[in-house]
Amino acid sequence: MANPLVETKLHVPSPRRNLVARRRLHARLQNAADAKLMLVSAPAGFGKTTLLTEWLGTFADEGSAVAWLSLDERDNDPALFWSYILAALQVAAPGLGANAQALLDAGNTPAEVVLTTLVNELRRVDHDVVLVLDDFHVIDRGDIQDGLAYLLDHLPEHVHLVIASRADPALPLARLRARGQLGEIRAADLRFTAEEAAQYLNGPMGLELTATDIATLEARTEGWIAALQLAALSLQGRENAAGFIAGFAGDDRFIVDYLVGEVLQRQPEAVRQFLLQTSVLDRLQGSLCDAVTDATGGKAALESLDRQNLFVIPLDDRREWYRFHHLFADVLRARLLDEDPDAPVELHGRASVWYADNGEPSDAIRHALAAGDFTRAATLAELAMPAMRRDRQDATLREWAHIIPEDVVRLRPVLAMGLVGVLMSTEEPERVDAHLRDAEQWLALAPDARDAAGMIVVDEAQLRALPGAIEMYRAAFALMRGDIAATVAHARRVLAIAPDDDELGLAAAHALLGLAAWSEGDLDSAFTEYTQSIAGMRRIGHIADILGESIAMADIRVAQGRLRDAQRLYEQGLQLVADHGAGPLRGTADMHVGLAEILRERDDREGAEEHLRRGEALEQFGTRQYPYRSRAVRAGLLLAEGDTAGCLALLEDAERVYDTDLSPAVRPVGARRARTHVLQGDINAARAWVRERGLSTNDELRYVTEFEHITLAIVLINDQPDEHELQKVSAMLERLLADAEAGGRGSSVIEIRAVQALAFDARGETASALDALRRADALAEPEGYVRVFAFLGPRLQALREALTTGVARPAAQQTGLVDPLSDRELDVLRLLRSELGGPDIARELTVSLHTMRTHTKNIYTKLGVNSRREAVRRADELGL
Amino acid sequence: MSAHHIGSYVAFVQYEIRVTGHLNARWAAWFDGLSLTRADDGTTVIRGPIVDQAALHGVLQKLRDIGVPLISVTQLRSEGE
Repeated sequence: MANPLVETKLHVPSPRRNLVARRRLHARLQNAADAKLMLVSAPAGFGKTTLLTEWLGTFADEGSAVAWLSLDERDNDPALFWSYILAALQVAAPGLGANAQALLDAGNTPAEVVLTTLVNELRRVDHDVVLVLDDFHVIDRGDIQDGLAYLLDHLPEHVHLVIASRADPALPLARLRARGQLGEIRAADLRFTAEEAAQYLNGPMGLELTATDIATLEARTEGWIAALQLAALSLQGRENAAGFIAGFAGDDRFIVDYLVGEVLQRQPEAVRQFLLQTSVLDRLQGSLCDAVTDATGGKAALESLDRQNLFVIPLDDRREWYRFHHLFADVLRARLLDEDPDAPVELHGRASVWYADNGEPSDAIRHALAAGDFTRAATLAELAMPAMRRDRQDATLREWAHIIPEDVVRLRPVLAMGLVGVLMSTEEPERVDAHLRDAEQWLALAPDARDAAGMIVVDEAQLRALPGAIEMYRAAFALMRGDIAATVAHARRVLAIAPDDDELGLAAAHALLGLAAWSEGDLDSAFTEYTQSIAGMRRIGHIADILGESIAMADIRVAQGRLRDAQRLYEQGLQLVADHGAGPLRGTADMHVGLAEILRERDDREGAEEHLRRGEALEQFGTRQYPYRSRAVRAGLLLAEGDTAGCLALLEDAERVYDTDLSPAVRPVGARRARTHVLQGDINAARAWVRERGLSTNDELRYVTEFEHITLAIVLINDQPDEHELQKVSAMLERLLADAEAGGRGSSVIEIRAVQALAFDARGETASALDALRRADALAEPEGYVRVFAFLGPRLQALREALTTGVARPAAQQTGLVDPLSDRELDVLRLLRSELGGPDIARELTVSLHTMRTHTKNIYTKLGVNSRREAVRRADELGL
Repeated sequence: MSAHHIGSYVAFVQYEIRVTGHLNARWAAWFDGLSLTRADDGTTVIRGPIVDQAALHGVLQKLRDIGVPLISVTQLRSEGE
């Protein structure tokens, strides 16, 4: 970011000489100083930039920090745009935006997360910050405009955004206007009044025009400042000013074009040529101009133009880099094209060479493309690609992918593979597949045959890595299509052929293999692959990727029944984020939710609640899995509190946002909902789920449906099964148990054995039931499992009590209830028998009316009644 | 995507863009060969085939960038449909 070209973008242009002080506009800017957004919107040549630089100069020493960013077409890439914004802020206030920058550098961070972090950093600044975006009209990407709208929405009061643009930006202007948060200066405000025109022409420009001449000029130019400036330049040293003005006052010629012609005509031929030829550049510098004009003296020429105020604007304090006034440049370019239609191709070509020689590949490529020299652009692109991909300038890469013709790319497998990455993310599968096939065909040829067929490789080092890269993309491509076998085959090939220093490629391949093994139920292999992947990711500092893989690894540990190991993984993830020091990263919220889930299982409700809260506070740092996971954990907590209805509502919500992000769906929310229906006594709803999933005790068993088949057993056992049905359930449970034990899935073994206990109990085989439960306990106890048993209902709880007392009593007092009333609900029930009204009961129990109603609703649900009177009668029947 | 592929669903459409002021004929090259006709009412009509909406917006943007006030954009008729 420290290159001089970038500096010029962040440089507040120095106020121009020959200015007319525009106090009326300063006042308007000042009045809107509290506005969130100041919009200066007007066509080219209306003095937008000049006004802003001058205005910023007036409060330079008032303790406000000014961040300036001059935009150009290249910045239409989110990665570049936001890093320039951060760079501009850092110029204004050193250190500001450092955390957001770290997130951006870490890659893969959604813009919204970067912006949230930036907003937090801005909030901590103790002085005003003014962020100016000049020439914003070059930005037309929706995602950048959305990002800016988000930023605007969350901007702290002491931060102000100023946008200068030729077109109104796609921001919610009407809303801002309605809330008084928008200040506006438009063309009608900017144009010179007759008075200002007089001040300007007869003041700094040193003309001695009559009031009539000035009025004529003002009317003809309609106060368009660029036109007045050109007129003044044309008038300087002219004998018959009035005659010249009259010469164009009465016609309809495009005035700027006409006046540029006049100005050019008055220049020596060498200067005229210099202006026309260098007009193809959007930044001017001495040696660059020399290269383009194929002459010397460029630096002196620029300085001379600067002195004469001939529409060059210095871009730095050293007066090394300049640019033409945009409007002037466009008129020059149109004239150049008209005079010599072939000239721009040659000139852009020279500019491309200069930029390439001076280590600016991006500009070199842009000029090569402008020259229509796709071969050269392709060659430069191939060399520039690794750095571009590292900096994630995807939009720029995508633009190249679309501009460089297919037949040029087809001959260049290294270039093609570089472009495949961005094409994959824009979901252009046909092009991805075509590029992969082309590259594979090239590699299949013998080296001399490749040359004969015209293969071009500029970056030989990349050619070595090509076979691995192709396989990696093939693996990712297969995974996108859900083809696990092909994913594994290609990922294995990556490991076999990728060079040792391709850390990212190797780590990604291990992660894919881990994912595939997990999907097949091979937990040990999956864990090993992920471990290797994380080691590689750690070496190259991809922290967010490590967090994502930690979720998978912890899930695997949970499946293995190793809660403590899973807990450690989440804690290590949080430690990693803390050590990284750039604030939370994507996946941080998931670490907290993971911990909450483990604590919930251990029935540490307060601890679980605390982590859920911390996760919620970092919600924007959640992965795609976060929304459903956080809801599912909270649902589990509500259930532990006895709020079955609340639990169900949240599970339905979780089902709506269910997204495992390519991970196997091994504990689907739907099955958890069905289990809750069973607890609630709503066996019909549970049956409906079984039908919907098409489950049966005769199914072939697979790891991915294991949780659902255990759930099926729970539903059937609670659905008044006959002996025949019980036998079928028991047989399925035996098969499930054998598979789970063979696969080392401790969590499933605990559940299956507990469900077996219920099945034995239902068949009256109490000894076998207790034996099954004892075995489940032996696995569960050391890891602290608690809730897994509670989830299986009161009968199982009774059996567990029997384990300790040695007596298998028929289930406790609340016989007949699938889901027993909690102690609190029994309290409420006792008061429901009284004469007290709802508010009095709430007061008696010192709870809110809302909580009391929730309890009442739960009691009704559990008792299967609809009124207080019925509840009391049913409770009497049950002897509660 | 092959040239043939593109050709199969792209139809050039004739547009007429009217702007304030008289633009010199030399601007024709700047507007990619569209024709410029100066009308007696002090306006200029820029006319010709434009490949698609993106190209149309490109022309409008060029007009915006040189500060020429836009009066109207009219689609005349389509070819090849």
